[in-house]
Amino acid sequence: MTAPAAFAGLTALASPMQMGQLPDWTALAPVLILAVTGLVLLLIDSIDADTTNSALLAGVSTLGAAAALAATAWSLATGVGQDGGAITLFADALVVDGMSLFFTAIFTSVVVMVTIASYDYLRDHKHQGEFYSLVLFAASGMALMASANSLATVLVSLELASLPSYVLVAYLKENRGSVEAGLKYFLIGALSAAVFTFGISLVYAATGSLIFADIAEALSGGEFVGIAGLGVLMVAGGFAFKTASVPFHFWAPEAYEGAPAPVSAFLSSASKAAGFAVAFRVFVEAFPLATIPEGINWVLAFQILAVVTMTLGNFAAATQENVKRMLAYSSIGHAGYALIGLAALSAGGSANGNVLGASMAHLFVYGFMNTGAFLFIAMVERWGVGRTFEDYNGLATQAPVACVAMSVFMFSLAGLPPFGGFFSKYFLFFEAIENGFWWLAAIGALNSVLSLFYYSRVVRAMWFEDPSGSFELGSQPVGLYAAVMIAAVGTVLLLPGFPPVIETAQTVAGTLFA
Amino acid sequence: MNPWIAIGALAVVGIGIPIGMMAVSSLLRPSVPEQGKSATYESGEIPTGTARIQFNIQYYMVALLFVVFDIETVLIFPWTVIYRSALEQGVSLGAVLTPMLVFVGILVVGLLWAWRNGAVEWVKSPRATRRKTERQS
Repeated sequence: MTAPAAFAGLTALASPMQMGQLPDWTALAPVLILAVTGLVLLLIDSIDADTTNSALLAGVSTLGAAAALAATAWSLATGVGQDGGAITLFADALVVDGMSLFFTAIFTSVVVMVTIASYDYLRDHKHQGEFYSLVLFAASGMALMASANSLATVLVSLELASLPSYVLVAYLKENRGSVEAGLKYFLIGALSAAVFTFGISLVYAATGSLIFADIAEALSGGEFVGIAGLGVLMVAGGFAFKTASVPFHFWAPEAYEGAPAPVSAFLSSASKAAGFAVAFRVFVEAFPLATIPEGINWVLAFQILAVVTMTLGNFAAATQENVKRMLAYSSIGHAGYALIGLAALSAGGSANGNVLGASMAHLFVYGFMNTGAFLFIAMVERWGVGRTFEDYNGLATQAPVACVAMSVFMFSLAGLPPFGGFFSKYFLFFEAIENGFWWLAAIGALNSVLSLFYYSRVVRAMWFEDPSGSFELGSQPVGLYAAVMIAAVGTVLLLPGFPPVIETAQTVAGTLFA
Repeated sequence: MNPWIAIGALAVVGIGIPIGMMAVSSLLRPSVPEQGKSATYESGEIPTGTARIQFNIQYYMVALLFVVFDIETVLIFPWTVIYRSALEQGVSLGAVLTPMLVFVGILVVGLLWAWRNGAVEWVKSPRATRRKTERQS
């Protein structure tokens, strides 16, 4: 960057923009609020180093996440980054548009639920301040991922989201399973980050730029197709890790099972959505189908990945005995559904924006139902009930309200009609057919039918089986209950509330193709 | 002439010189095998035990904090280079100073946290001290 450009960047920070009196950088308010909340939590932990004041810590983090959610919702409602075109910051390194805000809304809602639930889950644990601040740092990394507009910022924000996640998975450091999960997650993460970085370097070698728009322009020249193609493939590998898709999926069952359940909820919902956010933007903006050379056909790669991922995830989930592990594999299966958003694109396809938007809307609903399901597991762990399907037998006699919520999540994840998950899946498959990929939709629908089998096993165990032993559930965890209820109400409300969600998602996705 | 030929020649010379030197010295030198020559060189100390021992975790903490502030210096350096010319070209003092102060401020919060949580204190391990005194007595 030349010196005058650097000054322009500095003055841009202070210059007012079109929208009211707010300067441009305030468009990043959700990210800034998340990061500042993380720092405030560190400060609280510095003032009282061994604080176990869960109410204060959970309260501050929930407030921070809720404030970030409110800022995101306000930005979406007032059209920041949409009406006046996307807002780019720091010499095009970051961009705030409808899509980044939509995904930030997913992350912040998940963080709100996770921090409320952690209030109970972490009681009696040391190092609570660190837990909450790491969650918020990871969330700010995810929000940055959704805003990244250059491969350099993609890498930095991806690491900002990943590094706290590794620590969070190993948070129960006296617990062998948690430490083992953290180590496996870290090693596979390091490997895939290396693959990803190498891919970026190859793309840079072939195009001479890291900014998405410049990469697209350089690629349309049709030079160095071999190097660029290899780079694109390796970049896709990096995203496969973050979204827990084949071939970098095998960390997911271990990590989700070993991690504290609120962390599993956070990773399988928010972290996965963050991976998709950045993958959508990179592949649509930097490697656009319309102008990319014939040799780099990433749609074919994603079609294979989507089919393999959803089939493998669902078949593996059907054979599990452990409920948390079943949910982990089901989360891999859902990554396969969301990949349809990329796999069903075609050069100049009329429904490109709609299919991508449907995938985003599915991730939004998934954020609620999957977080809720994992938080129910957290509650069950808190009660000290076992982990297998048999241990859940007759749980409804003891905790009917929570079991109703869990049944809602299960049916919604399976995609049964009266819940939010039905509409999101329906739209996803419908738009895939509209764009000419009926076979992807058919495989997705077949997988959904299979998934009904293992989701309904949980429901049957809770409601219809007789308890194998007597339960002693002990205290009622208020925070966990509240978080599960928020997720359940969200899942149900997304049925009547789905039209605005899908409309927003498809509008903001459509602008990517414009 | 293709400029890569020069680079190839450089590579040939670069590989040839060390190999040539080693080959010549192995032809010229007398062979006197001796135990001291095959021992590990440990800055003049006599090596004891294996290298596979557990180091105190606190070396790691100190090294980590060092790396953080080392990188901080590297990242502040470009800022110091443009500082004066930015002011001369009429950028306000606040716009020049604020990003750096925010950056340092974030790291100060981290250091404060590490300090308060005992990362920079050199904690003595009672067990290690006990073992040491047992060995001496």
